[in-house]
Amino acid sequence: MLRYAFWRLVQAAVAVFGVMTIVFVIMRLAGDPTLLLVPEGATREHIEALRHELGFDRPILVQYAAYLADVLRLDFGNSVVQRQPAMAILMSRLPYTLELALGALAFALLLGLPAGVAMAVWRGTAVERLLAAVVLTGQSMPTFLSGILLILVFGVILGWLPTSGSGTWSALILPAFALGALSMATFARMARIAVVDELSQDYVRAARARGLSQGAVVVRHVLRNAAVPVVTIAALEIGNLLAGAVIVETVFAWPGIGQLAIQSIQSRDFVVVQVVVLFVSAVYVGMSLLADVAYAWLDPRIRLTPA
Amino acid sequence: MTDALLRVEDLGVTIGGAPVVDGVSFAMRKGEVLALVGESGCGKSLTALALLRLLPPAARLAGGRVLLDGTDLAALPDRAMRRLRGQALSIIFQEPTASLDPLTTVGSQVMEAWRAHNAGGAAQARRAARDMLDAVGIPDAEKRLDQYPFELSGGMCQRIMIAIALICGPSLLVADEPTTALDVTIQAQILDLMRRLVAERGAGVLIITHDMGVVADIADRVAVMYAGRIVEVAPVTDLFAAPRHPYTAMLLASVPRLDVVPKAVLATIEGSVPAPEAFGSGCRFAGRCPLAVARCTAETPPLNEVAPGRLAACWRSAEASTLLSGAAA
Repeated sequence: MLRYAFWRLVQAAVAVFGVMTIVFVIMRLAGDPTLLLVPEGATREHIEALRHELGFDRPILVQYAAYLADVLRLDFGNSVVQRQPAMAILMSRLPYTLELALGALAFALLLGLPAGVAMAVWRGTAVERLLAAVVLTGQSMPTFLSGILLILVFGVILGWLPTSGSGTWSALILPAFALGALSMATFARMARIAVVDELSQDYVRAARARGLSQGAVVVRHVLRNAAVPVVTIAALEIGNLLAGAVIVETVFAWPGIGQLAIQSIQSRDFVVVQVVVLFVSAVYVGMSLLADVAYAWLDPRIRLTPA
Repeated sequence: MTDALLRVEDLGVTIGGAPVVDGVSFAMRKGEVLALVGESGCGKSLTALALLRLLPPAARLAGGRVLLDGTDLAALPDRAMRRLRGQALSIIFQEPTASLDPLTTVGSQVMEAWRAHNAGGAAQARRAARDMLDAVGIPDAEKRLDQYPFELSGGMCQRIMIAIALICGPSLLVADEPTTALDVTIQAQILDLMRRLVAERGAGVLIITHDMGVVADIADRVAVMYAGRIVEVAPVTDLFAAPRHPYTAMLLASVPRLDVVPKAVLATIEGSVPAPEAFGSGCRFAGRCPLAVARCTAETPPLNEVAPGRLAACWRSAEASTLLSGAAA
């Protein structure tokens, strides 16, 4: 198990390294970054001086090595617009994104998993059809639409919840709901598939043959087996929630990383865009690592087998 | 039969309306080993599952009675049926490894079977499970309890399944192809074990198999199934010596033997089992039967007593054993 986790960690490191390299290549392919930084009407000497100062006149491999060294020290340079370290800007936004992602995750898990299990257990009944309609709505409604509808209904018409902002519990509810809807649908569908699949296994019939009720078989055996694939999906969904809140954060004026990404792109603050891209990639890699380790831990066939 | 254990009367199972098990009737005495034999798809496993009311979702029980110690299982409410499963009657399956939850230790699965029908704490359940593992010949039972199914061989897993099936002392054990997935040497051990345990406990065994070797090894009596119906019932030695149904005779003739010339062409039964939609009104074996006459395709032969203790469903039952040589096939 430890050996497995170690190798998975090495793979994750390779993936992060790959992302760093791709980001570097794309930035250089996009042209000389110096031109983005100088004010309009700058003289050729001025540009050359800045290029030399920033090191963009060095050979590309030397620049690459320097870039890697900086990234490993978590030094991503200063924001072109805000004149402060890009990392500090990212960290100032991170708590908001975490809060939103956790809220959305809680909503998605608490609603999606029971819905999926119920759809599998009561397959072919009215229960499944009703839940399938709810899940389909969550899955098919784009967040720019559901977000605005939620604001309209609960914020404007009913006046129960604030339409934007952050910092209070009530402000979290609507954006978490909008962001979590797709994940909720994903969890419900995955849980349904996993449980249906497990219910057809021989061990389910054998457990019923021992005199267990269908409910006891589901609780004691099926859920645990079905959890193995669902945990993997859940970890990847956490990545989506952390990284994919761009639209929701924009609609609800939520000051998280998604909003930072949009603002930085609009102001051509490539240093901040780069740190956001690297952060999002690291989150994805980290979550898929977590998924694999959790998968191994849940399954004794992997956990107990010496590599 | 005064010491009757199980009496199945006119049992039917349908899949999508097709009668895949049709009018099956048989009876078993206490402590008896009855083999239900037939080729794949003849309905023998569905018959076994129907007894426990564990049919797959697509299959429906279509009438009949299943009297176990006088109680009609087919008519019981679900909850009452559940209380009998594992306690009055148990089943073991073909794939022992797949029949165990891969993520739960074998010990907790054995204990679960005990606790489903006994009031008692975890310590008591564990003691019962350990004793049962000892009884099915698993060495180092205390340690095995904490192992997972993947850590045990197929033969060991089948011993676990037998332990689970017998831990509450059922009066009937249904064994659905219990040795098919196992090596030949392990097969013999498992059959020995089953025979010994049920003899000690006085339980009856209904063993489902397509393997005539297993039948000869363990059964007291045999019921032969073809295309959803029972075609012959006989004590095992009588059946092997002089079958009274052409299908049985040809089935026996197709078994490879050690005492005939090697490389001789193995006898086969020409044709294939008709699909349930094409059963027609007569004998379902008529299309493949060398003895078939006009009456066979027109009228279904009833399962009649053809000799003391012997039943056969064939209009030409008396001539069936002439096919035993395999020459006609």
